[in-house]
Amino acid sequence: MTEETDTVPTGANILLVEDEVNIALALKFLMERMGHVVTHIDDGAVALEQIEALAPDLVLLDVTLPGASGYEICQHIRACRGLDATRVLVLTARGADIERRKALALGADGFMSKPFEMADLQAWVTELLAHPREV
Amino acid sequence: MFAHWSLRLRVFLLFVLLGGASLLLIWGGLWLGWSRAEPAPDPGPFVLGGMAGGFAVLALVTWFWRLFDENLARPMQALAAQMRVLAHADDARPLDAKQAQYLGDLAPAAHAIATRLSATRDDLALAVERETTRLAEEKERLETLLADVNAGILLCSRDHNVVFYNSVARNLLQDSNAPRLNQPVTGCLREGPVLHAYERLTQEGAAHSETQFLCSTPDGTAMFTATMRLVPQGNERGGGYALTLRDVTADIGLHVARETLLSDMIEDMRRKAANLDTLSRLREAGDDPVERALVQETRDLASAVDRFGARYNETADVWWPRAEIAARDLMDSLRARLRSEGVAFAASHQPLSVVCDGFMVVSLLAQIAVRLRDAGHGDEIAVAIGPGDGAEEALVTLDWTGAPVALADLERWLSEPLELGQAELTGRFVLARHGTDIWPETLDAGRARLCLPLPRVEETGDHDLRGAVYDFSLFEKSRVAPLVDMPLDDLSYVVFDTETTGLLPSQGDEIVQIAALRVVGGKLLLAERLDMLVDPGRAIPESSTKVHGVTQAMVQGAPGISQAGRVLHDFAKGAVLVAHNAPFDMAFFHKHADVIGREFDNPVLDTVLLSAVLFGITEVHTLDALCARLGVVIPEKDRHTAMGDTLATGTVFVKMLEMLKGQGYATFGAVHDEMKKQMRLYKR
Repeated sequence: MTEETDTVPTGANILLVEDEVNIALALKFLMERMGHVVTHIDDGAVALEQIEALAPDLVLLDVTLPGASGYEICQHIRACRGLDATRVLVLTARGADIERRKALALGADGFMSKPFEMADLQAWVTELLAHPREV
Repeated sequence: MFAHWSLRLRVFLLFVLLGGASLLLIWGGLWLGWSRAEPAPDPGPFVLGGMAGGFAVLALVTWFWRLFDENLARPMQALAAQMRVLAHADDARPLDAKQAQYLGDLAPAAHAIATRLSATRDDLALAVERETTRLAEEKERLETLLADVNAGILLCSRDHNVVFYNSVARNLLQDSNAPRLNQPVTGCLREGPVLHAYERLTQEGAAHSETQFLCSTPDGTAMFTATMRLVPQGNERGGGYALTLRDVTADIGLHVARETLLSDMIEDMRRKAANLDTLSRLREAGDDPVERALVQETRDLASAVDRFGARYNETADVWWPRAEIAARDLMDSLRARLRSEGVAFAASHQPLSVVCDGFMVVSLLAQIAVRLRDAGHGDEIAVAIGPGDGAEEALVTLDWTGAPVALADLERWLSEPLELGQAELTGRFVLARHGTDIWPETLDAGRARLCLPLPRVEETGDHDLRGAVYDFSLFEKSRVAPLVDMPLDDLSYVVFDTETTGLLPSQGDEIVQIAALRVVGGKLLLAERLDMLVDPGRAIPESSTKVHGVTQAMVQGAPGISQAGRVLHDFAKGAVLVAHNAPFDMAFFHKHADVIGREFDNPVLDTVLLSAVLFGITEVHTLDALCARLGVVIPEKDRHTAMGDTLATGTVFVKMLEMLKGQGYATFGAVHDEMKKQMRLYKR
């Protein structure tokens, strides 16, 4: 991740896929405070169904989810032509290197293991939104 | 034609011939004289003279024959007969002296040979008897050990037939899985893992003679961790093998349940603690000390759970059998499996080794390849093993032209049993036991692949040192005799060598490397070794590095002479020290006796002086000359390394011990006294 961001993007469409209610609330609050529009889904299978219609700019994705894993959602996003520009940031409590490599191999743009500093999360989100994927 | 006639008959016929010829000559001469006389004389006197001469010649020839027969032919024939008896029946009675008096030194010489042959036979018989008894006793002890050892042991021939099993193996393998002598081992253990392990070990160029794997009985009622070790047959790798079994049937079921419980618990705790910590970081603690303490405790809790999780990951799979396997061997096994499954594939690998349960990983890869084919992912799968992310990882890839695998499909395949006789043994279970995962990737040009990282290791080359080290004769050896009276074979020796910064210990040169090997019962024990670098506490001259290859960087952080000296002293406790040019090496240790804190007062033998004892003081006694003389070959790369020279010295020392005993130096005292007489060699 680079530090160079000329302007802080706001108003982005963010999909938060997280089954931990409290974490979801906190992240939603944080993202909204940054000026983004957040949709929260707490089930992997539901996320797979709705993600194309939502066409988010950024997905904050937990790995361990009911219905379908975060990895499956990540693979699905990269397989959908309509989601080519969507950025994916994986947030997981599984911090092993093999998890990070698997996430990145499946098309994630970033990987953060919990717990993380809010400043780091904000920096990641800003960075990813400032540099959309090349379609 | 005459060869089978006896000597006496031939001598008799010779004299008959001589007598007949003499008669013919006498009668021929008389007839010639009578026929040329003019006028023809009366033949009466000629006939009378001829008959008288003839009888006289015949009597003379007969007398000579009898003398020859009695004094030469008959004794020679008797001597020959007696030597034949000796050759076949070991009866070395001396020939009658009077009978053989005209044979000169022949009879005593023949008797000396006979006596020597008889003595050699006696010695040989004695040695064979002694060795046979010793081997029988060792065999009996080994049988007892194998029978009583607390693990199931099966010895199998190269045809995989059982040639031995102990009582533990009999208890482990029961009913339809019971082992039977001279029956295939595959009757009691599943064929796949056993044959896979054997083929890997016996492949040309295989680096190891031992491997570990998991296998079950054919009916799947019991599961074992097995260690297979090749039993060498001459210089061939493909002899039989020993299988050591440990029952993990209960472990597997229990383990799966416990592992699931533990990993779920840790996962949950880690998740909750991480969430708690994440939430605590969301807000500023402010100045409230209680709130700040709460935040700190939350962070500590999350760290503690993380540490616990990491420790769990490190120790969770230590019981699982894994072995170092060359990528080539793994690929060969996979190739065989995929061929038998009818999967079209291309294989490639790089020269590296991975650490895994080979059979499990091959089964997993084969199962995935079959599922890929069945799901229509490409016509041909390219399997490759190459370097992974970093020096400690290898990456196995399955690559094809076509759509990537959906993770949901892959997870379904991984949840299926691997057909190893145990429902718990799924692909996901195998991945978890290896601490790894597998994932799909999309490549360019319409290609896709699956990636499976595995731990990678460098070859160590030390694996053949694992053989059992024993000397059962130690049971009988007395330890009460004074050193000088101790038989050479009853002593323990430590052969050692040092590499140094130079040749002058008194002028500041120091040791940079020490190597040592033990010799017990006349055998050089390669497994009982010491090989260490030593920090000399001074610069190593480049000229010295050129000789022994030890650089300044290599000794960085190595122990100094005080610690290294103690290590050697402990290693050599109670042993005779042996070195080539021992005074040189010993000078370094005596010089530092104070800092080492030990006295090197072990008895010492010097192979230079022993060489002088055996080959004479005028010979060349360098280690190279000694090796050449005794047929000891040390690879050039090992020469002038501490361990290489120790190995050379140890090998020639063992040979010299035999020669010393052969020359009558049976005890340490005898050898030491004789060695001291050669000390003048160092004064020349």
